[in-house]
Amino acid sequence: MKKILTVTLGLLLCVCIAAPLFGQTYDAAKFKSSKPQSQWKIALVPKDATNAWFVRMEQGVKRYAADTKINVFQKGPPKTDAAMQAQVIEDMIAQGVDAICVVPVDIAALEPVLGQALSKGIVVIAHEGSSLENILFDIEAFSNEGLGQALMQVLAKSMGEKGSYTTMVGNVTNASHNEWADAAVAYQKTKYPNMALLAAEPRVEIMDNLDTAYQRAKELFKKYPTLKGILGTSSLSTPGTARAIDELGLKGKAFVTSVGMPNENKPYLKSGTVQAVMLWDSAEAGYAMLAAAVAVLKGEKIANGINLKAKGWESMQFAPGSKKVLLGKSWVNITKDNVDSFGF
Amino acid sequence: MKNEQAEVALPLIRRGRDQNLARLLVMLGVVFALMAVLRPEQFVTPANFGSMMRQFPEYGIMAIGVSLTMITGGIDLGVVGTANLSAILAAKLMFAAVPRGAPPEQALPYLALAVLVALACGLACGAFAGLLISRFEIPAILATLGTQQLYTGIAIGITNGRPQSGLPLLYSKIGNTEFFGLFPLSFLVFLVVAVGIAFLLSSSRFGMYLYMLGTNSKAALYAGLGNTSILIRTYMLSGLLSSVAGLIMMARANSAKAEYGAPYTLQCVLIAVLGGIDPSGGFGKIVGVTLAIFILQFLSSGLNMFNNISNFYRDVIWGGVLILVLVFNRLLSQRAERRAARRGE
Repeated sequence: MKKILTVTLGLLLCVCIAAPLFGQTYDAAKFKSSKPQSQWKIALVPKDATNAWFVRMEQGVKRYAADTKINVFQKGPPKTDAAMQAQVIEDMIAQGVDAICVVPVDIAALEPVLGQALSKGIVVIAHEGSSLENILFDIEAFSNEGLGQALMQVLAKSMGEKGSYTTMVGNVTNASHNEWADAAVAYQKTKYPNMALLAAEPRVEIMDNLDTAYQRAKELFKKYPTLKGILGTSSLSTPGTARAIDELGLKGKAFVTSVGMPNENKPYLKSGTVQAVMLWDSAEAGYAMLAAAVAVLKGEKIANGINLKAKGWESMQFAPGSKKVLLGKSWVNITKDNVDSFGF
Repeated sequence: MKNEQAEVALPLIRRGRDQNLARLLVMLGVVFALMAVLRPEQFVTPANFGSMMRQFPEYGIMAIGVSLTMITGGIDLGVVGTANLSAILAAKLMFAAVPRGAPPEQALPYLALAVLVALACGLACGAFAGLLISRFEIPAILATLGTQQLYTGIAIGITNGRPQSGLPLLYSKIGNTEFFGLFPLSFLVFLVVAVGIAFLLSSSRFGMYLYMLGTNSKAALYAGLGNTSILIRTYMLSGLLSSVAGLIMMARANSAKAEYGAPYTLQCVLIAVLGGIDPSGGFGKIVGVTLAIFILQFLSSGLNMFNNISNFYRDVIWGGVLILVLVFNRLLSQRAERRAARRGE
């Protein structure tokens, strides 16, 4: 009995070892759907279900559903957690969706489950996940370099192009956030010689949490009295840091900018604590992801210049050297003058 | 608080607890029926059950660990920290010992060693928590809140907060094996753990000691039980189970990270309480905990089938369920005590 069990287990082990390894490149043309469009089901899985950014994204999803009559919906984990996001995707695969659009919490943790989706013929489109392997395409609102440079321009202008600054990312594991910050720092080194990156803490992590952003900013300004600026990436960096600036009485002496939502930053923009934040509209991004997924399902060729039918996403270009990452031109500076015009 | 009346009421409360199992079964049936009726083509499918079986073992095993500590009247909030720290140590060892692309027969012994290191780490983490609680008499909830922070902190320190990815392929291959194309290895591990711990509680001397200690620790001490050693062993067991959960999470994510699964801590406490473990100690069965795990997984996967219900409401539902169960159980045991008191007169 024991012998049989051992042999069976041994055989099973051999089978799973011999099974083909995770695929690395996928041919998008093979993901054309044979089902009629009315039976398609597409899920968009954001980082979490409650963050204002993703609530806004869901508006784009709903607009896409209304425009195309395709069954698309957004379903995020209850908290921003990699393990929980993987569970939601697992459930989506089990439900038999035709495409999954995802804004990953953590790249590494999602690779296995996304690989599983692709192996079942499910189209996988990512946003803010340019280094993911198990996807067909990743679409970004702009080149990471472009946004990083634009953020640095805003911060440099606020700081009078001199003084010490540091960078603040959502998670140190968030690929896009780090690329923006890297590009911003590189741009500063060539354009603003009188500014200097805080060597002791060049990259601060706020765990995508507003309160953590506030706490970290407060610590930083207390610990380093010469620190004049924070270049944030997460949309929570600016409101968190601005609160710290106000509380410490550093208004006009310390500055912050990041990607940001208009309403969250409105009080600080109006009071002058913050000069400008940058934004791409997550609703448009959601819309564009779905359009990309549908293009693949329809069997359309994804090539330079493809139109994803959302504002700023009309003419996508592949990132240099990439066959997976598509870049748009979808960003705006939000200042006290236009903050009211967004309606969200 | 365990006065004479309560002692008289013991058998009755025990019966009440068995009714708790019946209640859980009914609840499970209701949730299943509800989902099966509302989403028949999605819920009652092999794919969905496969998906659920891959999801719950990682937190289910931790919930069993938490349950054990709650039976002694304590709690273990350090399970997720222990799981991640163990997984990270194992991952570090794999990186150091196994060259990239090494053949399976070369990698296998090191993977086994890494697993052993993770389990040893779990035991050590648990032993430390147990020591704080028994020897230094720090309330379990505070001691393990501390260990959770400590272990997560160490894990962040070792890794700089970065995920440890790119494990040897063999590890996730073995970890994600599916038997008969349906039962994931993690599910089988969960079964072994659940049956093993259930047996330990019902039929071993150690199990009996746990219940005695949880019911009345002073009485247990005067009865000659080594409370310190029992508590330390309990938390070591919880730590060991956490490290098993950590190894499962690592296989599922093909990586380890200091903060994976942070929301699982409270979810585990919720499961234990829902499963009929008395938070003040002395009562509860693993069967109940297992049923509670199933209920939560059914609810979780089921809710994901309703496009219009945001997962935001999941917290509301779970929090509501937790409070209802606590209040309901308290009312029931009060009634049992009153009855017993009347009968005693």
